[in-house]
Amino acid sequence: MKIAVCVKHAVDEAELKIDPAGNPLLAGAAGKMSTFDKNAVEEGLRLKAAHQGAVVVFTVGGAESKKTLKEALAMGADRGVMVVSDPTALDALRTATMLAAAMKKSGPFDVVICSEGASDTYTGEVPPMVGELLGVPYVGYARKIAVEGKTARIERSLEDSVESVEAPVPFATSVVSEINEPRYPTLIQIMQASKKPIEELSGEELAPAGSRTWVEVLSMSSQPTARKHVMIDGSPDEAAAKLLDALSKEGVLK
Amino acid sequence: MSGEVWVYSESEAVASEVATAADDVAKGASAHVRMVDISSLRPTTRGSGARLLLKGPPSPEVSPAVAAEALARAARELAPLAILLGATRDGREAASRLAAKLGVGCMAEVAGLASDGQGMTGERDVFAGKVVAKVRCRFPAVATVKVGAYPRAVAQPADAQEKDVGPIPDQTKTLGREKKQAGSVDLRSAKVIVSAGRGVKKKEDLAILAELATAMRGALGCSRPLSSDLGWLPEEHHIGLTGVTVKPDLYLAVGISGQLQHVAGMKDSKIVASINTDKDAPIFQASDYGIVGDLYQVVPALRRALAARR
Repeated sequence: MKIAVCVKHAVDEAELKIDPAGNPLLAGAAGKMSTFDKNAVEEGLRLKAAHQGAVVVFTVGGAESKKTLKEALAMGADRGVMVVSDPTALDALRTATMLAAAMKKSGPFDVVICSEGASDTYTGEVPPMVGELLGVPYVGYARKIAVEGKTARIERSLEDSVESVEAPVPFATSVVSEINEPRYPTLIQIMQASKKPIEELSGEELAPAGSRTWVEVLSMSSQPTARKHVMIDGSPDEAAAKLLDALSKEGVLK
Repeated sequence: MSGEVWVYSESEAVASEVATAADDVAKGASAHVRMVDISSLRPTTRGSGARLLLKGPPSPEVSPAVAAEALARAARELAPLAILLGATRDGREAASRLAAKLGVGCMAEVAGLASDGQGMTGERDVFAGKVVAKVRCRFPAVATVKVGAYPRAVAQPADAQEKDVGPIPDQTKTLGREKKQAGSVDLRSAKVIVSAGRGVKKKEDLAILAELATAMRGALGCSRPLSSDLGWLPEEHHIGLTGVTVKPDLYLAVGISGQLQHVAGMKDSKIVASINTDKDAPIFQASDYGIVGDLYQVVPALRRALAARR
């Protein structure tokens, strides 16, 4: 089974600094593998363990993205494909266009796995777009994937229901974080990962003529909800009574 | 261009919210709103505009794949300026596929929609809600509208134009659908939410929080580790970036450290109160009232104090 997994080198939202005027300091901000992408890599590795084959990880982004690719290789992926492109000019459709073109070059793949959304921008648009552009069936928000022969059974986790869907192989999917517990690479695996092959491709060459950044970001600002930050002290009973008094005054206690 | 803004959602309730957003876009673009139904006309869909029924897909069960293809076929012919869907999970899938089919941009989970005539703008949360980004996409464009961000449009009955888009085979087969074990109260509509985090030591101890929630006439929520990692509560109780987004009058966070991903799901609550043993827990930065203390002492104290008041 040939398995493609998409990962993103995302801005580490916890580390992101905001200047006093509310502007996020994105230049030089710390990055990390998008939180939920670890579940996507893990699911790829589990499918490989069950069906043999290979896991190829794909990413689109600047030079920094290689760190995330190496992390996926350390987890156990076999090789990486790095599509080099200016990360500030990537919207979902442009990213998906490059990923799909890169997959066509080194495919075809039986299964394409993404996570439900990137932990920094969380549009969740790239996975269905990749499926669409590859022309394969797409079943997103998977919390369970079982492949038998040429058929996959997938449990989709929706807002208030779980849907069981049958899809033919090849197919593309996105996984929710409940699907598995991602493994941590060992030190030896991390060292071995540096020997695994990473192919570099130019995003501009992969994207067809006329392709552009469709959705532009006009501005970004941080205006956290103003909170009162009142700390209540005293014994548990005193604190409880004071809190209820305060909540009554706010009119939020029914 | 026909100067139309289309509205579609697989959920009728969400469609009527999206209709309100579409009014704002249509106003700026001097366009008209058209509510779209696929397969069968839903009599109760509330919208302010004209209606369009896309016929062709066989069943009343419209998967995101079929919805995307039906909308794409109709859009290629009728060329609307914008197509707005609801940012439900199915809606996000359908919108993304639709945008890829049409080769146009798709703004994800936006609120505050407007149009300058040439395109539309919207606002969306990024970096786990730490930052709001203003985004713009030139017409023609697709967008998903944040659920719960707009009031529902009032009903305005209108005649439906019908359009045959031809049969659309679905490559996947839905085998079944099971309702998640819904909590006794829907978190999205709850006025009071008591939410449990890792400070709760074992599953059985959730009972004292459930009892507190009941005593406060509220619902029980949790942070991601409790539903995803520990499996102590069903996923639909998970409040956060990848879970439910809530805005109750009172959000009481108990034993929750306050990671950004959690705060992203509750930051629009009117009042936030929190209980945590760690005085440096980030949840206190997102709170109006904080108690540094052991939940195993403070929660029973709250129960007693509540009982004494009633």
